[in-house]
Amino acid sequence: MSILTDLRIAAVGDIHLGEDVRGHYRRSLAGIEDRADVFLIAGDLTRHGTLQEGKLVAAELRGLPIPTVAVLGNHDYHSDLEQEIADELRDAGVIVLDDDGVVIQAGGRKLGVVGGKGFGGGFAGKCASEFGEREIKNFVSHTRSIAEAWQAALKEIEADHRVVLSHYSPIKETLEGEPHEIYPFLGSYLLAEAVDTAGADLILHGHAHKGSEKGMTPGGIRVRNVALPVLGRAYAVYCLTCADA
Amino acid sequence: MEAPQYVAARVQQALAEDGRTHELGIRVDIRGDQLFLRGQVSGPEQRERLGLVAHEAAPELHVHNEINVVEATEPGEDEHLD
Ligand SMILES: [Fe+2]
Ligand SMILES: [Fe+2]
Repeated sequence: MSILTDLRIAAVGDIHLGEDVRGHYRRSLAGIEDRADVFLIAGDLTRHGTLQEGKLVAAELRGLPIPTVAVLGNHDYHSDLEQEIADELRDAGVIVLDDDGVVIQAGGRKLGVVGGKGFGGGFAGKCASEFGEREIKNFVSHTRSIAEAWQAALKEIEADHRVVLSHYSPIKETLEGEPHEIYPFLGSYLLAEAVDTAGADLILHGHAHKGSEKGMTPGGIRVRNVALPVLGRAYAVYCLTCADA
Repeated sequence: MEAPQYVAARVQQALAEDGRTHELGIRVDIRGDQLFLRGQVSGPEQRERLGLVAHEAAPELHVHNEINVVEATEPGEDEHLD
């Protein structure tokens, strides 16, 4: 149980970088390799999802000294250039998840990271269902197919620890502070249900800028909202303790 | 006269949809002829742009731009999950 056996995960979301803050964010990442073994980014890297912003974000993240994994957020989709932005990030050495998973070697351990953008729909008892108009059915089935992909990816992965990285929230506790009326646009319980079924050590998300940092799924998996405005700092660090110290 | 709730909704929509801002999490409150913007953004220029877009969307109101700029500072304390 010594500190050396901890797997240290740095995480942030919603950095929303633009030309006016070029260079600032990168400076705040100085020394990240001394604080963490891996860096996870929970989407909304840009403001408008333009290619120009995608290149700027890639430049800010290029060549970080620890493995870096990201998912995109709704802002990164706004200009219909999500593939191009993901390619820019990959070119800069960032692993970009799109409803799939990756195993990385971190702190002498195998860390499995599964995730993607996620989507909305609401929370059990107060959510949309696949009924009625085609538009509503498409909305809900988009979330459902994402949840199914994550569940399958989690089951497949072989690692010492498994973390889910999302943009949208799987639970409502970490939305606390946002107006209740917009909860269905901030996340979906289907994401939590899938992860509870397959199992994981931690779920990270962003998107809810006015939400709260800490919550838990019905199955007892820790959830952290790492949106930059929620954290109020460059990134959070979560340590997973390895049992066989 | 247009009800203040509809004006606030129109301003909020402008902040979200205007190509200069695209900011979703800004709270807009109207009291009389005063308009208040609250929320957090990542840079001072974005805050200025939001004030400008709000002013253009409701030029008859006096805009109070109370948006905070959240500087990405030092990472804080680690959390141990066990
Ligand atoms: Fe965001
Ligand atoms: Fe978002």
